[in-house]
Amino acid sequence: MRLMVFSDVHGNLEALQCVLRDAVKRDVHRSLFLGDLVGYGPFPNECVERVRGLKKCRCIAGNHDVAALWETSPYGMSRGAKKAILWTMEQLNESNKNYLAELPDRIDLAEMTFVHANPYNPRGWRYVTDRKYALRSFAATDCKYLFIGHSHRPLLIKKKHFLSVDIQAITGPTQVKISGNKRLIINCGSVGQPRDNDTRASYLIFDTRKHTIEFHRIPYDYSITVNAMKKNALPASLYKRLLKGT
Amino acid sequence: MKIKRHGPRSTTNLKQRFFIWSAFILLGGGVLLSALSFWNTRRLLMAEAMTKSEVILRGAEAIRSYVKEELRPKMFERHGNDTFIIEAMSTTYISTTIMDRFAESMPDYIYRRASLNPHNPRNLADSFEEGMFDWFEIDSTRLFWQGIVKKNGASYFVSMVPDYFGSSCIRCHGKAEDAPHELTDRYGMDGGFRFKAGDLAGINSVAIPVSASFREAWQGSIYLFAITLGGSALLLWLLNVLFQRLVIERLGVMLTLISEKKKGTSKHNTSGDEIDFLQASLGSLRRYVSSARKGSALQPNFIGNYTVTEPMAAGSMSWVYKGFESTTKEKVAIKIGFAEVLRNPLYRACFEAEFHLFESFSHPCVPKVTQRVEDTLIIDDIPGGNLSFLLHSKRLDDTLLFRVFSQLCDLVATLHSAGLVHHDLRPHVLVLDDQEKIHLIDMGLTSSDQQEDPIIAAGLGPQGDMLYMAPEVIQGKRGNPGSDIYGLGFLLYLALSGSLPFSEERCSSGKWLRKKEQIIPLSNHVDNLSNSMEQIVLKAMAFDSKKRYKWVEDFWEDLKKALN
Repeated sequence: MRLMVFSDVHGNLEALQCVLRDAVKRDVHRSLFLGDLVGYGPFPNECVERVRGLKKCRCIAGNHDVAALWETSPYGMSRGAKKAILWTMEQLNESNKNYLAELPDRIDLAEMTFVHANPYNPRGWRYVTDRKYALRSFAATDCKYLFIGHSHRPLLIKKKHFLSVDIQAITGPTQVKISGNKRLIINCGSVGQPRDNDTRASYLIFDTRKHTIEFHRIPYDYSITVNAMKKNALPASLYKRLLKGT
Repeated sequence: MKIKRHGPRSTTNLKQRFFIWSAFILLGGGVLLSALSFWNTRRLLMAEAMTKSEVILRGAEAIRSYVKEELRPKMFERHGNDTFIIEAMSTTYISTTIMDRFAESMPDYIYRRASLNPHNPRNLADSFEEGMFDWFEIDSTRLFWQGIVKKNGASYFVSMVPDYFGSSCIRCHGKAEDAPHELTDRYGMDGGFRFKAGDLAGINSVAIPVSASFREAWQGSIYLFAITLGGSALLLWLLNVLFQRLVIERLGVMLTLISEKKKGTSKHNTSGDEIDFLQASLGSLRRYVSSARKGSALQPNFIGNYTVTEPMAAGSMSWVYKGFESTTKEKVAIKIGFAEVLRNPLYRACFEAEFHLFESFSHPCVPKVTQRVEDTLIIDDIPGGNLSFLLHSKRLDDTLLFRVFSQLCDLVATLHSAGLVHHDLRPHVLVLDDQEKIHLIDMGLTSSDQQEDPIIAAGLGPQGDMLYMAPEVIQGKRGNPGSDIYGLGFLLYLALSGSLPFSEERCSSGKWLRKKEQIIPLSNHVDNLSNSMEQIVLKAMAFDSKKRYKWVEDFWEDLKKALN
């Protein structure tokens, strides 16, 4: 089974379309979206509807999806993110709001667990990028593979033993062979706003038969997204990030 | 008369069995009541005897104590230390003499002062008292004994206390040459001497005869038993009259009605009782209803603007009928909840969940809902018949097998992608139409990983047909996608062989589990079957869900390869 895992679209429709077109070519059976369909980007409704229309795709809620529904306050976010969320709230139609409201915080499938930020406090939105929070995440689940997003950086964390993890930043398209019984935390990066100094959209495919994780980077025309952000008077700091991949 | 506890092989009729069991119960109750009465009376008698004997014994002990501590010192003071008047200074003599006089007016109370080496031979211990000497000497803390003793064919309740020599006693019980001459003159120098202070001097006892009282208690119990027996006989007669009027005669009417309906058959099987016959008739009725569910005898009906015609299939919670819109004549399928499901709130929750799924879940194999009319769903027309033909056909040809399983796997993968587990994939809920398209007509046992499972919440246990059920579902575990993969494996087995992987005979859940541990190899039914195909079925139907395919897609990929 080839499972596509993608996250953090953030209203970037162009990036999403490119990623989905690429995944179709790679014989994906199912897909799992790890949250943050909206926020930052100029096409929140279009992105929600595109993902809603995908067959065999499940989604979980991200912090921006929740904030866009006022389930958590956006006033704790950075200035640019807050402004984008308030704009997104006005744009989202009722149907898409209802869809976002029903998204779960966590999904468990066979030996895999999927969350947006972390499994120990899913709505605390803590980044899992270091040893402390990686160990805490391992302790909060008994799955073999934990898939996360939120940090916008592709990452592979391998549990070595009780108090030690091996953290590997993934740069560019990479295929990782899984061997042994080591538990893994896998961050698929971001489709709509990568922050690892690579402007290309990021997603991964987990192949259960070949035991591989394929990290893919897909170039897209970010000028379409940037122009739409400018047109809708979204903060300049946000579209500058797309140009730099930070 | 031969009596069997239950079952159609019983050889006595219902009334006889009721009479025999009632008689056993009443007789047993009478015996128990009498025994309890005797035991209670005996207990009360013993308690009374215990109190009385202890009072008398303590009285005699008080006399002995008075002589020893008051009278004898006073006599020595008055008459000097060389004087010893037995009648006024011997504790044993005084206490036995007083108790002898007491016995003249109360002959039932026997006081004894027993010694192994007495001055007076009359006080020599008998064999029982010798035994009690040993018992008291073994443990000096033993200061009292009570119990029933048989003597000369009669029972006595006996209380005993030990008496130990004090230093003042040694003058008369130490060396014979130092003893007062009044004592040696009367009793001689053979017995009652050579003791030291602290030695066990004797045992003082009171015996009360209890044989007569026990006999009276026993007679009372016999009278009580006789009265109970008489009362039981009367009660038995009354019960039988009532049973005849309230049960047997009414049952007789019912049986006559049933017999009349069963034209051409004998009145009823004489080898069983009336309930057995009724049970057999109800079994027949159940089979009739079952066949009615399958559509052999249902009449047309009308729901809203729709006309219901013949039934198509029965799901876990509902029937599916064919029908049409009354004005446009457009063909539809109509899903109607079982009456018993609609009445039961626990099942109704499952039924509502199923309707919600039909309304919300989208897949080419799931018929679209046109309208909901109260407890009825109007869904797209489903032409064709269900896959139960697989049970009686030979191996499905590879092209059809491919088409059927590609749709089935896609359907199940879509269900699993949405967090749903069907739990009830069996030929009867899957319809194959003329275009070889599969339609799923039942989702009554489906669970969702995002909602509380109504079947688990209601504690309903395994639901559905155990023949097709995955082992873990029989064990009450739900929500495992592997259970549907087992269902797919089962369907593949049927499609490849036209046979079941184990016998269909109905049995307990434990036996089903044992059956499912070992399936009949496919090669027993089919020749020229590829090893890879057999391995796919074995893996999909593995008893342990962890050994099955984890993903439907993996099952389908292997199946595709094997078919190619």
